[in-house]
Amino acid sequence: MKNWLQTYLEFARVGFVNILAYRLRYYTGVITYFINVTVYYFIWRAIFTNSDHIEGFNLKQMTTYVALGWIIRSFYFSTIDQDMANDVMEGKISMTLIKPIHVQWSLVAQSLGESCFRLFMLTAPAAVVIALVFPMSGPSSALHFAGFFASTVLSFFIVASINFIAGTCAIRLKSILGLLRAKYFLLELFSGLLIPMTFFPQSIQKVMNYLPFQHISFTPVLIYLGKIQGPKIWEELGIQLLWAVAIFLIGQWWWATSIRKLSIQGG
Amino acid sequence: MQMNDTIVHVQDLCKFFRTFKRREGVLGAVKDLFVREQRLVKAVDHVSFDIARGEMVGYIGPNGAGKSTTIKMLTGILVPTEGEVQVNNFVPHRDRKHYTRSIGVVFGQRTQLWWDIAVIESFKLLRRIYDVSERDFDARMALFNDILRLNDFLHTPVRKLSLGERMRCDLAASLLHNPPLLFLDEPTIGLDVVAKESIREFLKTINPEFQTTILLTTHDLADIEELCRRIMIIDQGKILFDGSLEEIKRRLGKINQITLYLKDRSEQAKIAALNASLALLAQTLSAGAAKQMSANGLHLEQIDDLKCRIVYDRRLIPTEEILRQIVNSLEVRDILIEEESIEEIVKKIYTEGREAFVGERA
Repeated sequence: MKNWLQTYLEFARVGFVNILAYRLRYYTGVITYFINVTVYYFIWRAIFTNSDHIEGFNLKQMTTYVALGWIIRSFYFSTIDQDMANDVMEGKISMTLIKPIHVQWSLVAQSLGESCFRLFMLTAPAAVVIALVFPMSGPSSALHFAGFFASTVLSFFIVASINFIAGTCAIRLKSILGLLRAKYFLLELFSGLLIPMTFFPQSIQKVMNYLPFQHISFTPVLIYLGKIQGPKIWEELGIQLLWAVAIFLIGQWWWATSIRKLSIQGG
Repeated sequence: MQMNDTIVHVQDLCKFFRTFKRREGVLGAVKDLFVREQRLVKAVDHVSFDIARGEMVGYIGPNGAGKSTTIKMLTGILVPTEGEVQVNNFVPHRDRKHYTRSIGVVFGQRTQLWWDIAVIESFKLLRRIYDVSERDFDARMALFNDILRLNDFLHTPVRKLSLGERMRCDLAASLLHNPPLLFLDEPTIGLDVVAKESIREFLKTINPEFQTTILLTTHDLADIEELCRRIMIIDQGKILFDGSLEEIKRRLGKINQITLYLKDRSEQAKIAALNASLALLAQTLSAGAAKQMSANGLHLEQIDDLKCRIVYDRRLIPTEEILRQIVNSLEVRDILIEEESIEEIVKKIYTEGREAFVGERA
C-alpha cells in the first residue's frame, strides 16, 4: 500500500513538474477565465434589471455563482481525454502499456499533480483578479468553505473519471475529437457551470438528479453560498464520493474490455 | 512442451487486422459513407519459434513484414488473434501488469520517457514503478554511465536531446529493473555510426554479464553481424528463415567476387588468355551441374587499365582453381576476394521471398 501510494504520488509529482514547461500558458489562462466571467456577469446583470430575485438567487449571489464556477473549473478540469486520444492516434499508448502500472490511476495521479500546479498558477490568480473586479459574496461560513473545498476536490475525481472513459473510446473509435467536443458542451451545460440546475425545467432536473454531472459545479458552489446547510453538506459530499467511485469503476471496466481491441499497425 | 531454459515460446501466432478500403474520387467517398469494403490484413501469420535464456536473436524483415506486430504481442500490448505466446511463464496480454515487470522494451521510434521533464526525473519515476532499491538503482546507473555516458544530459528534458542521446537514455531506462528479457524494436534507427557503436557495445556488455535475453529488430544488418548468432527473417507475416548467420550465408551466399590489381599496363594483353582459360575451367567443372547461372557460373569484366573483376558461383568453381589460373596467366600486384555480403543475401530474400530458398542446394 505504501509503495503503491509512493508510486502514484511520484506520478502526481511528474505531472506537477511536467506542466512547469508550459507555465507561460497560464498568464493567458487567467485572462481567458476573466473574460468568461465578464461576459456572463453582464448577461446576468441585464437579466436582473427587471427583478431582484430569480429562482432564489439575487444578482450578487448569481455573480458569485458564475465567477466561482469558472474559478473552480480552472482546478477540476483535466486533459486526460485529449491526452489519451493523442496517445492512441499516435501509437504512444504502447509506451504506457509496457510499464507495470495501473493506467487509470497513473493518469488520474498525473492530472492531480497538474491540477495542484494550476491551483497556484491559474486558479488563485484568477480568483484574486475576478474577486477584485466583480461584487462577490464570501463563503457562508468557515465550515461551508471547507465543505466547498472538499466538494471541489471530489469534482476533480468525477471529471477525471469521465474523461478517462471518454479517452478510452479512442481505442475503438480511433478519432474521437467529435465525441470530446460533444462531451465538453454537455458537461458545461449539465454541470451547472453555465446556469444553475434550478433554472432547468422540472423534468430535466429530475433526470439530472440521477446523473453525476450536476455534482461537478453546481454542488460545490451551492455549498459555498450556504444554499446547502448542516448535515445536507455531508450527504452531498457522500453522493459525490459515491459517484466518483462508481465512475472510476465503470472506467476500469471499460478500459479492460477496450484494451483487448487495441490495434496499432506499423511503427 | 517447453524446455527448461526456454524463455520465449511462440506457437502458430497470428495477428489479423481489419482495415477498410478507401474508394477513389468523390463518388467513392460517398459510397464509403454507407458501405465500406473490408479487407483482412494478416500482419503475423502462424509464426512459431522458441528463444532460450541468454540468447541474442535478430528479427529482421522488410517494412511492414510483421516484426513490430510480433514484438507488440510479445510485450503484451496487442492481443493475438490466434496462437500461443508464453514469455517468462506469463501470457503477456493476460497478466500485463505483472508480466511487464520482467521485461525491458525499447521502441526506437518512440520514447518511454516523459517528454518535458529532465531525464533523471523519468528515471526516478521508473525506479518507483519497478520498485528498484536505491542501492541497485545507483549501482546500475553507474554501470550505464560507464558505457552510455548519460551524465552529460541527465538534467536535460527529453525533448531537447538528440536522437542518439535519447536512445541511450531509453536503453538505460529499459534495464533499470534488470529484466531477464529485453525487446528492442529498431534500437539503432536513424543513429550515426558512433551512436550505433555505443549501443552495440552496451548490449554486448549486458548480455553476458546479466544473462539478458535479447530480441532485436533492425534494418541495419551490421547490428546483426555484430550482436546476434541467430536471425529470424519474416516477410508478409511468415517466418522465412530461422537459423544462424553462418547458415544463411552457406545456404544462400553462393557468389564470390575476386578483384585483380594488375602489376602494370603490359599485363592487360594477357587478360583475354585468362578469360579463355577460366571459361574452359568453368565449362569442365560445371558441365551439366547447374545451368541457372549464366556463362557457366563465371563472369570476367575489366574495370579499368589496371583492374578487373571475376564474379563466380563458388559452389561450382573452387576459389583455389581460379586463383591458380590467375597466377599462371599474369602478374598481379594484389588480389581481393570477397564473399557475397549479408546485405546482398538479405536483399535477395526480401525481393524473392520463399523463392530465394528454392534454387539452393543442401
